[in-house]
Amino acid sequence: MNMQRKSGSTTKHIGHSHRRLNAKRHLAGRGQFVSDKTLPRMLHAAFVRSPMARGRILDIDISDALKAPGVMRVFTAAELNRICEPWSGTLDHFAGMKSTPQNILSEGDILWAGQPVVMVLAHSRAEAEDACELVFIDIEDEEPVIDGAAAMLPGAKLAAPGLTDNICFQTVLETPGVDAVFAGAAHIFEESFIFGRHTAVTLEPRAILADFDSASGQLTVHHGTQTPYQFQDLYARHFNLREGQVRVIAPDVGGSFGMKLHLYHEEMGAVAASILTGRPVRFLADRLESFVSDIHARDHQVQARMAVSAEGEILAMQVDDLAPVGAVSAYPRTSAAEGNQVIRLMGAPYQMADYRGRLSVVFQNKVQTSQYRAVGHPIACGVTERLCDMAAEALGVDPFDFRARNLIRDDAYPQTSATGYQFEKLSHEACLQQLRQMMNYDGLRAEQAELRKKGIHRGIGIAPFVEITNPGATFYGVGGARISAQDGAIVKLTPAGDVQCLISVTEQGQGTETIIAQVVAEQLALQPSAVKVVTGDTDTTPSGGATWACRGAGIGGETALRAARKLRDQILSIAGKILQADAATLMLSDGAVVDAATGTHRLDLAEIGRIATYRPDTLPAGTDISLTVAHHFAPQGYPFDFTNGIQASLVEVDVETGFVKLLKHWVVEDCGTIINPLLVDEQIRGGVVQGLGPAFFEECLYDDTGQLTNGSLADYLVPMACEMPDIEIGHVETPTLDTILGAKGVGEAGTAAAGAAAMNAVNDALRPFNASVSQTPMTPARILAVLGH
Amino acid sequence: MELDGTYTLDASPQQVWDALFDRDVLEKSIPGCTELLQISPTTFSAVVKLKIGPVSAKFKGDVELSDIVPLKSCTLAGKGNGGIAGFAKGSARITLEETPEGTTLTYTAEAAIGGKIAALGSRLVKAASRKLADEFFSKFSAVLAEISAENHIETPSESVA
Amino acid sequence: MSTEHKISLTVNGESVSQSVEPRLSLADFLHDKLQLTGTRLGCEMGACGACLVLLNGQPTHACLVLAVQADGDKVETIEGLNERAAITDLQEAFFDRNALQCGFCTTGMVVNAHAFLQTADAPDRDEIRDAISGNYCRCTGYEAIVDAISSVAEKRRGNSADGGTAQ
Repeated sequence: MNMQRKSGSTTKHIGHSHRRLNAKRHLAGRGQFVSDKTLPRMLHAAFVRSPMARGRILDIDISDALKAPGVMRVFTAAELNRICEPWSGTLDHFAGMKSTPQNILSEGDILWAGQPVVMVLAHSRAEAEDACELVFIDIEDEEPVIDGAAAMLPGAKLAAPGLTDNICFQTVLETPGVDAVFAGAAHIFEESFIFGRHTAVTLEPRAILADFDSASGQLTVHHGTQTPYQFQDLYARHFNLREGQVRVIAPDVGGSFGMKLHLYHEEMGAVAASILTGRPVRFLADRLESFVSDIHARDHQVQARMAVSAEGEILAMQVDDLAPVGAVSAYPRTSAAEGNQVIRLMGAPYQMADYRGRLSVVFQNKVQTSQYRAVGHPIACGVTERLCDMAAEALGVDPFDFRARNLIRDDAYPQTSATGYQFEKLSHEACLQQLRQMMNYDGLRAEQAELRKKGIHRGIGIAPFVEITNPGATFYGVGGARISAQDGAIVKLTPAGDVQCLISVTEQGQGTETIIAQVVAEQLALQPSAVKVVTGDTDTTPSGGATWACRGAGIGGETALRAARKLRDQILSIAGKILQADAATLMLSDGAVVDAATGTHRLDLAEIGRIATYRPDTLPAGTDISLTVAHHFAPQGYPFDFTNGIQASLVEVDVETGFVKLLKHWVVEDCGTIINPLLVDEQIRGGVVQGLGPAFFEECLYDDTGQLTNGSLADYLVPMACEMPDIEIGHVETPTLDTILGAKGVGEAGTAAAGAAAMNAVNDALRPFNASVSQTPMTPARILAVLGH
Repeated sequence: MELDGTYTLDASPQQVWDALFDRDVLEKSIPGCTELLQISPTTFSAVVKLKIGPVSAKFKGDVELSDIVPLKSCTLAGKGNGGIAGFAKGSARITLEETPEGTTLTYTAEAAIGGKIAALGSRLVKAASRKLADEFFSKFSAVLAEISAENHIETPSESVA
Repeated sequence: MSTEHKISLTVNGESVSQSVEPRLSLADFLHDKLQLTGTRLGCEMGACGACLVLLNGQPTHACLVLAVQADGDKVETIEGLNERAAITDLQEAFFDRNALQCGFCTTGMVVNAHAFLQTADAPDRDEIRDAISGNYCRCTGYEAIVDAISSVAEKRRGNSADGGTAQ
């Protein structure tokens, strides 16, 4: 019996909290990470690293290591580097940028403590490490360049060979009237900030298993990365292989956060060693290796001024950002991108006509820094919001009222910021209003005043923010980087009527596969559970940008939507042929083709799959029987889809010990169309905690000889459950009109402003003591120091 | 990192001074020393096995005595390469003073470490270094006591000569 | 290396006998030798909790125990707990609350939550946060995990009150 269905009754999945099916594998202990993967005849790699930060290698003695049990090969630069084209972390659109070319192992110059010098291959990692202990490297040590400001002085020692000075990149961004505005401003507020160097600390360290088959010339790389296509391109070009000879597979990835999209010496070493030996070579970083070789993030010293009118309007900002980035710029995205975003995001939420931002990216002998979740945002937001609070306090205005006066009006779009960013449509005012109600701001202020009388010092801080998402090709492509701005999807109907979507955006636990299934299912009027999403394999999925800069939902989702609509049209076209009906009179509903007008069931999808696959002879000659479609999509409207939001933090500072208790955190966020509310909220919560970690605990500590002194999880403090607050989240939805889906990104929103809200909260608590802190992490020692203890 | 310490040794400044330049005494006193070669009257090369916190390593290095004021003071500088574990280098100014109990030895040292020991063990290094210094001087003192015991026996024959 | 030692132990109810190097950690033994890959290594110094297993019923950092020390002992890993359906409600709650993202910490987290709920009587949120404060999670921000464990504790309490048996 044919079921009667109401016309247009497609099931809505976009906007619903579907659960992640792939979570079940992890909960059963069936996750498959690169660190779980083994292959027959696999060799294990370990590296001997320089213990010094700067110097020259005088001699390397590998003779004892070669004789050690289980050792197969011991490589120095002479053997390993010769098959690898060197790389330089510069891009054309960063004019004048420079960086010393790099290769896998040091060829003589030591540039940071931890730089790989010798690579050992053995039957087990333990044997490889044993052999590393037998390698002797004689290094003549030289005085390293450590301090960023000192590195810029004339006559400073050089951090790397081939440099004439330690400047990696400098730029100035300014409006013509900025000096006049500062000269005439009623109030000028200024502060110096230090944002500490920290790192990603993914729980699964970097992992790679390279497998070169010399018989077929095929290189297969199992790689814990978020950008497999980028690495396919890099391995092909740097090892002189055709792209088609290289397959990169990213299975489950134990956290990435931007850290796992950079090229690392050790990964290139594993690939080179596999090519040279013809055997699979695995390298898993241990925790110490992660600390001395993963990219680090932030490390910005900012001098900032804000000009404010007598009426409390922000007129202009001027900032100088000094960003020491290590001895070389990271590849292929450079180490200048964060500083570039710092100076461009300053004051972004506000009506502010004039601006000057100066950026100096300088070399020093430490591990390279580069992009990590919320690139540049926490610094720009931290500086802007601290200055806003200073202004509000001096003018006797409530922090909420100060923001309300200065935020870009919700009806004033499109807008271009003083730094040149184009905003399509943001919702600062709506977010500010919602936050004020959600957190019961007035109640908290009253409670704060009461508690202060009892010697309990609570602080409330807020921080509006703007986040960069869905970047187009102007981000990297124009600079000459082979980093895709587009994504691709293949959607197919199987002979039995199931749907598969193979897509270039990747999954690291954020729920990419789930939201893609939701988007596809909605176009095809199926349940998301009927859509299998395949990601992370360059041989099976179309080429694309994958996961970075919050593009999975906005760009990947739109790609999937358009591909699925293509398949829908093709299904209806074939159904029309089978049913001898006009395809325009048909539609999809609940796994079947139905009459669009009446909803009458006409044909199951399984039947279309069966006929197109097994009985194409029954269809009219010339019928296109394809049930597999492909579609690629690149953003073509605004250069970015900016999102916005506001965060608030409630803290309690113990002024005797300097300890800060995080009591509560709030976020109101606008990421456009919300595909999955549950997953969006959890992205925000995780992001907030990654912003609070570096605000209070996380810092890569170096001594004055360039030694990292806290390279373990006992010494480098990460946020744990007992220290973190509950986080309440609200939403405003302003879809982008550049796409059908309307989704923007959300992955970095939490990290963007959590630290800024927390710093304002701490300083609010310290207000009765006329003390303030402007350095992160805000450790108890630093808080006690500003309190004069 | 800076360290200092004072030890009272039951021996004359002359005996302490001689012992400081005596390969055999040094070899017995340096914790973990498996090899000590005298290159010149004031330079030695050494192999030392040490464990600091979670890192154990064999250090190969050189030790040099300089700024020598006989019987009073000298500077002992060393640099050791611990391979994958890292490196250590430092120098100590040693001064001797005669006291009723024998000799008071005072040192002030500056040390720098690098590599795995610095990254993993920096919290432990100062305590470990002090322990190593204590171990050195307690062994040194014991060896001195042996020597002075031997000297007591040998004294008559010396006086005859 | 030094000679291997033969050890016999019970892992997830199965008898296992193998020769191992004395320096091999229990975590490496489980993950590499027995391919019980749900026991993961994050720090190798007992700080992150990714390698938590039940050693004679007690949650234990497998990275801090040598395989030879576990000779004669009973070990249970996430795979064993999963197969004997001891954590079904926890798994369901984590799934429903999306209390995991990349999944790398999840196995250690669930082993710890299981052990905690064996003894905890009506834990509040702070107690749950304390209990999992040896488990590092970089992705979630912890709140969803606290919610998931809290909901299981509540349900088990409800079941007990109804005369049902807590697992």
